[in-house]
Amino acid sequence: MDRQVLEELLSIARDPYQMLRAWKKEGERKIIGSTLADVPEDLIHAAGMFPFTILGTNKSILRASTHLPDNACSQARSDLELVLTYQRDFFDGYVVPQVDDTSQHLCDIWRRNVPWDYFETFLLPRQIDRPSARQWLLDETLRLRRSLESFTGKEISEGRLWESIGLYNQNRGHLRRLYEMKRRYPGFISNREFFDLIKSSMWWPKEDHNRLLERLISGIEETDLRDKGEEGIRVVLSGIVWEPPEIMDILDESGLKVVGDDLCVGWRYIDPDVEVNGDPLRAIVDRHFKKGPFTPIYEKGNRIFENLLNLVTQNRAEGVIYLHIKFNESQSYDLPDLIENMEREGVPIFVVETEYQTTHLAGVRTRIQAFGESLVQK
Amino acid sequence: MGEQAERKPKAKEVMKQLTKGYYGGALRAHEENKYVAYTTAVSPVELFYAHDIIPIYPENHSVMCLTGRMMPRLSLEIEKRGYTSHLCAYARSDLGYREVGESPIGGIPDPDFLLACNAQCFTLTKWFQVLSRRYGVPVFVFDTPQYIRKDEARKNIIKYVERQLAEMIEALEELTGRKFDYDRLREVLGYSAEASKLYKEFLDLASIKPSPISIFDALIHMAITVYLRGTKEAVDYYRLLIEEIKEEKISKGIGVIPNERFRLYWENLPIWFKFRDHFDFLAAHDAVILTSLYTHAWSYDFDLSNPMRTLAENYTSVFSNVELEERAERAVALFRQYSLNGNIMFLNRSCKAVTFGVFELKDMITKETGIPALLFESDMGDPRFYSEVQIRTRLEAYMETLDRMGVG
Repeated sequence: MDRQVLEELLSIARDPYQMLRAWKKEGERKIIGSTLADVPEDLIHAAGMFPFTILGTNKSILRASTHLPDNACSQARSDLELVLTYQRDFFDGYVVPQVDDTSQHLCDIWRRNVPWDYFETFLLPRQIDRPSARQWLLDETLRLRRSLESFTGKEISEGRLWESIGLYNQNRGHLRRLYEMKRRYPGFISNREFFDLIKSSMWWPKEDHNRLLERLISGIEETDLRDKGEEGIRVVLSGIVWEPPEIMDILDESGLKVVGDDLCVGWRYIDPDVEVNGDPLRAIVDRHFKKGPFTPIYEKGNRIFENLLNLVTQNRAEGVIYLHIKFNESQSYDLPDLIENMEREGVPIFVVETEYQTTHLAGVRTRIQAFGESLVQK
Repeated sequence: MGEQAERKPKAKEVMKQLTKGYYGGALRAHEENKYVAYTTAVSPVELFYAHDIIPIYPENHSVMCLTGRMMPRLSLEIEKRGYTSHLCAYARSDLGYREVGESPIGGIPDPDFLLACNAQCFTLTKWFQVLSRRYGVPVFVFDTPQYIRKDEARKNIIKYVERQLAEMIEALEELTGRKFDYDRLREVLGYSAEASKLYKEFLDLASIKPSPISIFDALIHMAITVYLRGTKEAVDYYRLLIEEIKEEKISKGIGVIPNERFRLYWENLPIWFKFRDHFDFLAAHDAVILTSLYTHAWSYDFDLSNPMRTLAENYTSVFSNVELEERAERAVALFRQYSLNGNIMFLNRSCKAVTFGVFELKDMITKETGIPALLFESDMGDPRFYSEVQIRTRLEAYMETLDRMGVG
């Protein structure tokens, strides 16, 4: 494996803002930040801008507390803190999606307190089984398209949309290919490195990211996989994000190998592709309905549990590590039943509750290690 | 409130009878082969009444548990199961009730159908999903995107919500095997429109000086429009109530407190287990809370010429589902209409939907009205998060501030 290319990609994940400042100076593309999840990046890209997924800050909360109470989801608070304090001037505009009460308020607070040249909210459907949801998302995506066009003063052509979709599909494809290798040879790349690669994709222009991924993939030798592909303890990660990032290091240190996930910054970001067929805007909308489950969005049945159980079975995982963001209400309502259901199926599940600003991880480390040991004994 | 309510026994008596009849009917529903649907306080309940389905509001039942001081006992029961104490007090009380079966009214029937409208909050959709798994019954998430101030978005939102009304009718037909009766819907909506108008007229009596009612009267009497709007009984009830207040209070110039000086706004839901105390404490300071956007959440304005459109518009544009600026404007309008001169803003830790915007609202409302606001944090239903001394001290300090400013 070409360690130099890998290092280049990982350095984006370490400090995207530093890396992008230089790029920003050279280029003419505006940077549009959007929070999790499901803002159609391909559409923003087709409008000639660079869509960047905001994933909060692990630095101290200084200003966000004067706008959002302390019992708001840590993700919302740290997203807000990032743009109020640490990267206040970095973005040219924002598309902030709404999926629950917190993101709804976050949207208004953001619009009122953060400087911007462009601001749009994206009202995602919070139910996706009924036909009304598809029509709604199409209407809302059309509205976003018109709003972006009016900001840039340029029409987003069908051809341009397909080009962007192609670029994003390619990127998703590369990352899925790497995931497949990790599933087969879980030790060939560390958990932290692998999930940092996905983060770097959310934070780097796809044109260049694709080139880097292609070089990385073509440099992977059979020996990289075989020699370092020791099994370890196969686990599935569940949740939305993995914060603070040291959590992933703890999994690595504990010999736990992630072979599947349902995170918004994991599989849900890279699967599925937009189907290249028919009208491009409809194709983008269709993709939304084929994604994995996301806790605030209602789907019939017990899809979060069923999907998680499938991930465990298909990937021959020994257990589940569930990452609970502190004060994330949606996850809090899911968890008791989810734990009960997984335990009934005989699948060990371990819940880690953290905030973006959690710094003392010694207790988490000990408990994750103990969970890992219990899986080995099983 | 005991003392004031005793001065209007007739309406109170009717309310008791209506409540008894409603819950009694609900408890017999399954025996009488009727369907029971759980729904949320702000939701198109007219569809249920029109389809002869009994709507039950777990929130209402929770309010009874909270005022009956059954918290934190009920919450502790579900905290054992892993639910955290930062969740909505209504939800915790309801899920706790389901674990232990204790209720101030002998319980509520199990649901056949769940309707969760998120105009009021997102929490309800998650809470009802827990119930859906527990009882193995369908939940219909009635999705009302934030009613943002953009024409194109608003048009689309209303279309989306209307489509969902049609989908809900299909779901109800599937549940019951009966065709939906649109004429009956018109009739039900007529009652709703009338009850909502009368309910608003009742609330607006608080704009009179001295005010014959306080928000505590509103909180008691709103129960009828919450669970019986869509029925003739609700219309008759508010007529009776208004007449009674006019006769017993307004015609005689009697205010709800003896020396009304401070006319206050209240932001958020009430602290249910404390509202009697708050009334007494404030009255001793010649202050009375008169209104809130919360009690106005049921002041609908239905246009009978287009039932689906008007249901979509009314249930989407509730105060908790509009942009914060619009919510502030609506609050400021109440300050003007009711001649308010004080502002108590409660940060309700277990109601994120209403509370997360309060810091911004405080800035906007204070800027517009010039009236200082008191901000304090607690929980609408869980006494573990109510600090008696601290809140009392803050209220006292606030009353002193208003006094020093020469307000009132």
